[in-house]
Amino acid sequence: MPVEHLLFLGAALFCIGLLVVLTRKNAIAVLIGIELMLNASNINLVAFSHFDPDMLQGQIFALFVITVAAAEAAVGLAIVVKVYQYFQTADLDQLNQLKG
Amino acid sequence: MTELDLQDLLASTSYDPMIYWILALLGIPVLSFFTSGSMKKLAPSWSSGLLGLNTLIAAYLAFQHWHQPEVLIKAPWFELGDTVFNYSFLIDRLTLIMLVLVNFVSFLVHVYSIEYMRSDKAKPRYFAYLGLFTFSMLGIVVFHNLLFIFIFWELVGLSSYLLIGFWFEKKSASLAANKAFIMNRLGDAGFLVGLMILYTQFQTLDLRVVELLMGFSEIEDGNWVITYLNAGEIVTHAIDSRWLSAAGIALFCGAVGKSAQFPLQIWLPDAMEGPTPVSALIHAATMVAAGIFLLARVFTLLDGQAMEVIAIVGAITAITAAIAALSQFDIKKVLAYSTVSQLGYMTMAMGVGAYNAGLFHLVTHAFFKAGLFLTAGIIIHQLHKLETDEVKFDAQDMRVMGGLKNKMPLTFICFLICALALSGIPAFSGFLSKDAILLNVHAWAIEKGGGYYMFDLMAFATVILTSFYIMRVVFLVFTGSFRLPKLSNSPDIENGLKEGNKWLTTPALILTALSISLVFGFTMNAEHSWFSESLITPLTEVPASFAAPAQAALLASAGDIHAVITAVSIVLALAGLLSAYLLYKPGAKLAERFDEKREPLSPLVQVSFYHWYMDVLYTHVILKFILTQSKMLAWFDEKILDGCVNQLARAQVVLAHLVSMFDRFIIDGFVHLTAYTTGKVGQLTRSIQTGNVQTYILSALAMLILLLLWFAF
Repeated sequence: MPVEHLLFLGAALFCIGLLVVLTRKNAIAVLIGIELMLNASNINLVAFSHFDPDMLQGQIFALFVITVAAAEAAVGLAIVVKVYQYFQTADLDQLNQLKG
Repeated sequence: MTELDLQDLLASTSYDPMIYWILALLGIPVLSFFTSGSMKKLAPSWSSGLLGLNTLIAAYLAFQHWHQPEVLIKAPWFELGDTVFNYSFLIDRLTLIMLVLVNFVSFLVHVYSIEYMRSDKAKPRYFAYLGLFTFSMLGIVVFHNLLFIFIFWELVGLSSYLLIGFWFEKKSASLAANKAFIMNRLGDAGFLVGLMILYTQFQTLDLRVVELLMGFSEIEDGNWVITYLNAGEIVTHAIDSRWLSAAGIALFCGAVGKSAQFPLQIWLPDAMEGPTPVSALIHAATMVAAGIFLLARVFTLLDGQAMEVIAIVGAITAITAAIAALSQFDIKKVLAYSTVSQLGYMTMAMGVGAYNAGLFHLVTHAFFKAGLFLTAGIIIHQLHKLETDEVKFDAQDMRVMGGLKNKMPLTFICFLICALALSGIPAFSGFLSKDAILLNVHAWAIEKGGGYYMFDLMAFATVILTSFYIMRVVFLVFTGSFRLPKLSNSPDIENGLKEGNKWLTTPALILTALSISLVFGFTMNAEHSWFSESLITPLTEVPASFAAPAQAALLASAGDIHAVITAVSIVLALAGLLSAYLLYKPGAKLAERFDEKREPLSPLVQVSFYHWYMDVLYTHVILKFILTQSKMLAWFDEKILDGCVNQLARAQVVLAHLVSMFDRFIIDGFVHLTAYTTGKVGQLTRSIQTGNVQTYILSALAMLILLLLWFAF
């Protein structure tokens, strides 16, 4: 399987994630979009590890990314819960208190 | 040039027990002033008792020290920089005479007032004021420092003001008090100028030192020069010689005010608004004598020109007031004008250099004029008692009196004797002193010659006028029939009229007794009375070229005319008496028609009745002039000064408006512009901060893409 296919898949997944991040109103959906983007980068890391003589560095890094993504999801969700408690909404269009 | 040092002259004298007597004499009336005001029933007897004590002290001192040398007490009062202000007391024969006179008359008036003011509610205040007055007068007498004399001089003016205005509920009384006060102030202003001149020249107001230094001053090239040592340094002071005369005349101004001389005499007749005993004490016997006393004190400092002014003013006062006394209806007014006229005599005596004669007349006049006032007071007091709700009349008006001789015999005798003394009939005290004055005035006129005979003539004319006006009062009040019953249509009213009780008659009797010439010596010649023999006329101290000729020398040359003068004065007095008898005896035409008269019709009598229109002159000329001037000044103030100030203010307001516009539009404009620009820029920049996370991400993405594109190409 040529590496281009994997890169196309990663790019497509990243674009979908980015589109989700930019367009969805719900904060949780945005977090989901971020997960998609992280996974797209994981696919790239795994794909490029094919050129590594040990074929391991990319895969190990992907595992780190997954761990960090889990931690990020936990923190992000906790923030979203607190935000929801405080503002009674998770709609990002309404969470514009920092508007200048 | 003198070797005397001013500091030595002003040094304190050694301790003298006399100071306690002086303090007692001054302190007792002050005590009376401070205590009797707050007492109620006791005030009259308490203050009379105190004054009796003071009289005893004065009499004791007089007997003790009559033949002793004079006592001079000097001590520093306060220091102003290097200048020491002294106080000094002098006890000489003149002081002793005045001490006894003031205290004695004041005591008699106190006693008399016990009855006279019995029904007055405010009598504690009255007796307190009497105490204040006695204190002030004694201060003038015992102090020998012109500054202190001036202070007590003002106090006398104040107590006179308070007593004239004692019945201040009456408008006329408070006006009269104001008038007396203001007229006295005019004179005092002159007095103050005199003090300033003397102080400028001699750097001290201690009379003894001033007299001493005056003796060493000289006239050089039209300048009045004094050279002396001051703390070892030679001090020379020279001012124009005219100031020497000015000083004497300025000091005399004080006497003009206080002793009611022309042209300030108009306050004294009005001062009769006060209670009658006050008129007796202040406006006849003592206060008005203060001016004469002052002249005696500064006698050695008066130069020829000042003396001449004094003599002329005295002569004018004597005759104008005597003429005014001729036609009055009010018994107290007659006595008031008579006082002014007699004070004119005393002033004239001082002016011609007859120191003894002037002071002698002061003393004799004090007794017989106080006696006249007190007897007039008895009549007024007894008539007042007749007043009821139906019958109202003016108890001082002679038109309601008449025939009182039978009702009040004692009063009649007292009044008659005092009146004879005033007229200058031999055997009564006034004759002695008036004769002495006339002799001196005549000697003076002979020396001066020419126009000065006019003043001599005035003095002699006043004799006949005096005896005429006072005998007119005697005939109108005491002889004929009682006019009040007829005037008031109540025939029974005269039964109520009685002689005054012993509180009223005793003081009057004592004063009457003292108006008999035997009191002053068994003689027809004033020079041989104990009074004249015991007082020595002080020699003038002014530089010889300015000094008045010594009166003693004149008298020596005029000695042989003494008998003629005496004869003339007796004849004139008798002529006055006789003409008064002929015109006003019971049954005479004028006496019969007296009660009908309301206002004199003939212009000549009007001149007399209205006192030469002096009051009118004051109100219509001097007052009007002053008021017009004040109005002009007020106009100038209002229109010109205020106008300038207002215009200036307006200009400032306009300027302020301009400045505020500059501020508002230019300065504020810049500030607003800055703020506006900043605001706009801020708005511009903050529009980026939407607060929407997704927008931020999108812009970051766009930037990243742009960055990548930039790197790529």
